[in-house]
Order: sequence, then C-alpha cells, then structure tokens
Amino acid sequence: MNKNLILYTGILIFGLAAPFIFPAFKVQLSILCVLIVLATTWNIQGGEMGYNTFGNILFYGLGMYLCASVQVGMFFPLAEWTESGGEKTFVHTPAQFFQGMAAGLVVAAVIPTIVAGLIGYAILGLRGHYFAICTLGLGVAAGEISGGIEIIGAGQGFTTPPFPNVGGLEARGEFFYFLSFGALVLTFLAVRAIYSTRFKLILNAIRDNEDKAEAMGIETMKYKIIGWMVSAFFCGLAGGIMGGLVGYIDSTDVAFDGREMGVFMVLMAILGGKGTLWGPVIGATVFHVFKEGFWTFFLGWQYVALGVLIVVIVIYFPEGIMGWLREKYPERFGEVVDEADRKAQVELK
Amino acid sequence: MKLSKLFLSFISAIAILFSTSVVSFAKVVGDKIVLGAAISLTGKYSSNGVHTQNGYNLAVERINDMGGVKVGGKTYKFDIIYYDDESNPKRAAQLAERLISQDGVEFMLGPYSSGLTKAIAPVTEKYGVPMVEANGASRSLFTKGYKYLFAVLAPANLYLDVAIETAVELNGGKGVRIAQAFEQDAFSQDVRLGILDAAKRTGSEIIIDDKLPKELNDMAATLVKVKQMKPDVLVVSGHTKGALTAIRQIAEMKVDVPMLAMTHCDAAKLSKQHGKNSQYALCASQWHKSLTYKDKFFGTGMKYAKDFEKKFKYDPPYQSAESSAALLVFKDAFERANSFDKKKVRDALAATNMQTFYGNIKFAPGGQNVDKPMVLFQVMCDGSGKCENKVVAPLKWASAKLIHPIPKWSER
Repeated sequence: MNKNLILYTGILIFGLAAPFIFPAFKVQLSILCVLIVLATTWNIQGGEMGYNTFGNILFYGLGMYLCASVQVGMFFPLAEWTESGGEKTFVHTPAQFFQGMAAGLVVAAVIPTIVAGLIGYAILGLRGHYFAICTLGLGVAAGEISGGIEIIGAGQGFTTPPFPNVGGLEARGEFFYFLSFGALVLTFLAVRAIYSTRFKLILNAIRDNEDKAEAMGIETMKYKIIGWMVSAFFCGLAGGIMGGLVGYIDSTDVAFDGREMGVFMVLMAILGGKGTLWGPVIGATVFHVFKEGFWTFFLGWQYVALGVLIVVIVIYFPEGIMGWLREKYPERFGEVVDEADRKAQVELK
Repeated sequence: MKLSKLFLSFISAIAILFSTSVVSFAKVVGDKIVLGAAISLTGKYSSNGVHTQNGYNLAVERINDMGGVKVGGKTYKFDIIYYDDESNPKRAAQLAERLISQDGVEFMLGPYSSGLTKAIAPVTEKYGVPMVEANGASRSLFTKGYKYLFAVLAPANLYLDVAIETAVELNGGKGVRIAQAFEQDAFSQDVRLGILDAAKRTGSEIIIDDKLPKELNDMAATLVKVKQMKPDVLVVSGHTKGALTAIRQIAEMKVDVPMLAMTHCDAAKLSKQHGKNSQYALCASQWHKSLTYKDKFFGTGMKYAKDFEKKFKYDPPYQSAESSAALLVFKDAFERANSFDKKKVRDALAATNMQTFYGNIKFAPGGQNVDKPMVLFQVMCDGSGKCENKVVAPLKWASAKLIHPIPKWSER
C-alpha cells in the first residue's frame, strides 16, 4: 500500500509540474489527459463488462456542444452567436467566461449521463456484435443530426468563447491543462474506487457469462446501464473541456469524431491492456507519444506508421502492454506461480 | 514495487522524447523569415491543400529569387514550416499552437478551407501572430473582431451572388426559381446564405434546399427532385468533390436545367476530368488568368499561369493564385513595417493597399479583402471536345458571352 502511495504522489507531482517543465507542450499534455479519460471510461464497457461500444463518442460530442452552448447561452443569445452572418461581436468578461465554463461542464457531464441511461435502457439488451454495430450507428447519427441544427451552428460549426484576456499568454494553456488534469484525476479515482467494490465483480461476471450471472440473481441490465452512465459522465466532461481547448466545434470532425476519437479510445484501451486499471492509462500515453512522434517525423506517412503500430500491437501484444507484462512477470502482479506448473503449461503450448 | 518502477521508467522515456523534439526555430533565423502553415495534405481537402501549398511554394521561390525581403537594410528570404492538418479542425488548432509555441513561428499563412481557418484564428489571435490567409472565405471569420487575421479573398457569401443576379436579369427582371444543394461545411453553408440574401433581394423563390453530407459522392436524390420540379437555376457547392459529383450525376441522369452554378470547378479540373459533360457549367472564382491585374513578381495572370504550369504541370486554380498572393502581401507588409515586431507587421498589413497579379488587395477592419470582386466563368467546349473556362461576368472582364439557357441533353 505504501508503495502505491509513493507512486500516486509521484504521478500527481509530475502532473502538477508538467506544464512548467514542458511549457511548450501544454496542449499536447491536455489532450493526453482527455485521451486517458476516454480510454479509461471505454474500458469500463469494453474491458470489464465485455461490451465493445463505439457509442461513447456520442457522450463526448454531446458534452462538447452542451458545455459551449451553456457557456454562451448564459450570457448572450445563442442563435445570434452561432449565426454566421451576424455582424455583432460578443465578448465574454473573465467572470462570465469562467462561470459559464463551470456551469457548462456540469451540464456537459449530467445530461450525457441521463442520455446514457435512456439509450442504455433501450439497447443494452443487445449483445456482442449487435451491440457494437448499434452503438457505431449512434455516433454517426449524432454527427449528422447535429450538423443540421441551426442553433448550434449546423454545418458552419460552433466557435467557442475565446479565452478572456487575463493572466498573460500562458494562462489559457495552463487553465485547460489543469482542467483536463483535474478531470483525469477525478476519473481515475472514481474508476479505481468503483473497481474496488462488488460492482466490478458483477461487470466481470457479465463479461464472462451473462446468462450465468443472471441465473445467480444479478440484475445484469441495471448494472450495465449504471456502468454506461458512469462512462457517459466522464466522457461528457472530457468533451466539454476538449471543446474549449480546440476552440471550434465541427459536428463530425471535432465533436462526434467517431472516425478518430471514437476509434482511438478503443485502440488505446486495447494497446494498454483492457480489463485493467492501468492499461488504458499506459495505452493512451504510449499511443499519444507515438502519434505525436509520427506526425512530426513521418509527415505524409503518419497514418501508415500508425497502421504499422496497430498491426504490431495486434500481433505481438494481443493482450495489451499490461497483459504482456502480466504474462512475463506474473509475480509482480501479485500472482503466485508454481514453477513446475508454469513449465508444464509452456510445454503443453 | 510492482508498478512504480515501470511507471518511472515510462515517465522518463516520455520526458526524453519530449525534450529531444523541442527544436526551437526562431521567427527569423539568420537571413530567413520563417512562416508557419498547417495544410491539408491528407483527408477530404487534400487536393485543395496541395493547390494551396503549390501556390505558397511558387511565391516563396519567386520572391527569394528576385532579391527576397528587405527589412532594416538587410535582405531576408522566406521559408515555410508545413504540417499536415488532415483536413481536421481539431488537428489544425493543435498544429497552430505547436507552430507558435514549439517552433517559435511568429507569422502564419492560412490553411485550406473556412472550417480550418476558423479553428486556427482563435489561436493566432491569442498569441497576436499575424496570419495572412488565402482560403478561408466564410463570412463569420470577419465578424468575430479578429485583429490579426487578413484574408486576400472575397467573403463566401459573394461567390454566387452574381449568378442569381444574372439569371434574374435574363428572366426580364422577374424572380427565378432556385434549386440548391450545399455541403454541410462552413464554406458551402456561407455560400448558401449569400444565395438566400440574393433570392430575397431579387424576389426569387427557393424551391429545393438540400444539404449534402461531408463525404460527398452522391446527390442523386436532389437531382431527381430537380428533374421533377424544373427550377430555373441549380446551385451546387461542396468543394472539389461537390463539383465533380454534380457534373458526373447530372450527365448520367441527363438532368436539364437552364443554369447550373457551382464553386470549385477549376480546382476540380472539371473541364479536363469530365470534358464535354461539364460544358456550360457556371463557376464562381476568386481569380481567372485572363484578368488584367499586374505585379512585378509574376507579371500578369497569364504569365503566372504559364510559370505555374511549367513547375507543377497543371493549370493553376484560383486557390493557388490567392495563396501566392498571400506571400506578396506579407513581403509588402514586412518592408513597409521595416521591422519583425508582430504588432508593427500587423499594422502594416492592415494598411495594405496594393495590386498583385491576382487582384487588388485592401483589407476591411474585419480582415476581408474589399477591393476584389468575384468573377464567373463558364466551361465552354469547341467542336473537337477541348474545353476551356471563359470569364462571362462581370462584363468588365468578360472574354465570352454567357450561353443561356443550357441546351437540353437531347439536343447536345
């Protein structure tokens, strides 16, 4: 336990100091935090519960639009803000900006949670591939629908309020970094707490054999919905932060970006090792570092390089980095290994 | 001990990676003025991204060959750092941040498309980095009060305005029936707003108002309606893919419409790709090589087109011409400011008043170019099937007479 405490304190100190150690990388670090949140919450479904969802991008995009809408709508008429031909210029005062952001983030987290409950009630009865395909449709549909709603900018996109003129040039970067780092810490602690309860065992039971779990008297539907609502809460929060960070929301390319973010969150969780607490964190970090590296050093070939990375992951680390480590050093994961037994197993293979 | 060691080594690995990739370029290195640009080299805007990049490169080469930029008695050469924004606004905003805070760029060139420019403008604005952009025409870019954004092009709502007015004029001043289909993106939606304004002004009626998806490769549903309802004008806008899709399907389905007005015909190389099928299409353009503007770097539009063709093996679309013009504007502003101070360069940019081969350039307080009208050209083919774009409006530059109405497919 003591060692764990050292580890967590170390990471916390590193996280708090990071924007000052690498001042030029604040944006990348903020995005990393958001990616970790997304991978960690995807892991609740994809890893622990065995439900491969592509629908979490729905909550992320919803959070993004909601946060920006609230932040604008609290002080100015939203329709005039988004209407492209509007000749008026609205400027948030610092107080308005931060109050709006705070209220926006609350809404961005709560509404997607409710939506997840409703949609979950309708579709969590589907299993396996059927569930995956259904959720894939959710993100695509949301992108198309939001691209037609005039009040949030439709195809024009939505420019989020510019950061007010306080605290110098670095203030914006630092604000969004600490906001996303805060969201990351909150998510991690919440998920860690959840994983230490019976709830995780129930999710695992659903993954391993849902019918048996039901036969044991577990109301699987209820737990599946709650699990998804937890994911939606943090996805919405991450989306709200990301909207402010990017500064411009486009329906399919930024908000309901299933093709990139939606796939990346799955990849990151699998790369790190799904069904583990640390897997998504490590996966997201490795993925982000590699991705930024490819984008810098292999310009024009970045997607080829990323594709090769994915192939390598699937072939050599099918269980993810954590899974691979676990197999190599089981004793470090607190597993007692009988040497003779292990040898016998290796020979069998 | 189980995980902490692992994590520590991990964090140090990241730290090493980060610290090695900090390559600090200053804005002015030796005799180089370093400009930054995020360009769509991949993704849905990649063909136009390349047009933009070619335009930038040609101008950089020409300006450097002809003595470079003179600031404070010293001559400097232009250099550009490019990144690929993948046609994605999120990526573009990130790259702008990276160009400015990591690469130390203090002067930016614009990306391709309004959406991406919208994503980058808040970043350049925040850092007070002057950006001259050549491919973001959406009106909303110029109403946000941005002080460091300068666009050498006319705003998007003016693109097809002339087409509607011409149609009304040919209709004896009476309003016309308009069918329109626009891609769901910032630029095309702004063109749509322009049409709505023009329709209101001229008493025209919009009978079909369709939206096209971003991954545009089919608009048959709209065309079926057009066949049924027989509008006087069909307006389509959706970047290069929109133009290509429209012509392909109109020819396939033999849709007869008296006037077909579009954007991006030259970027899509319509007359080459679709030959006679693209005949009579009316296109909005920021520039055409036959216009009579001049400057000392590229000479006339015709000469620019020749030089461009020699280097890149295709006729320059207006996207390239306006991108080249952006560099000319920067050079002019640096020399007038006689300094590399961002604020001074910005003020010099705001006071720009010059002629380039691409047109006159003078910025309104919002940053848009107010001194350059749009032109309309029509694709015209001769008997042998060779097609060319000829300017038909405004009359001042017209090199051919508008053919109207478009002959029916059965009579072609």
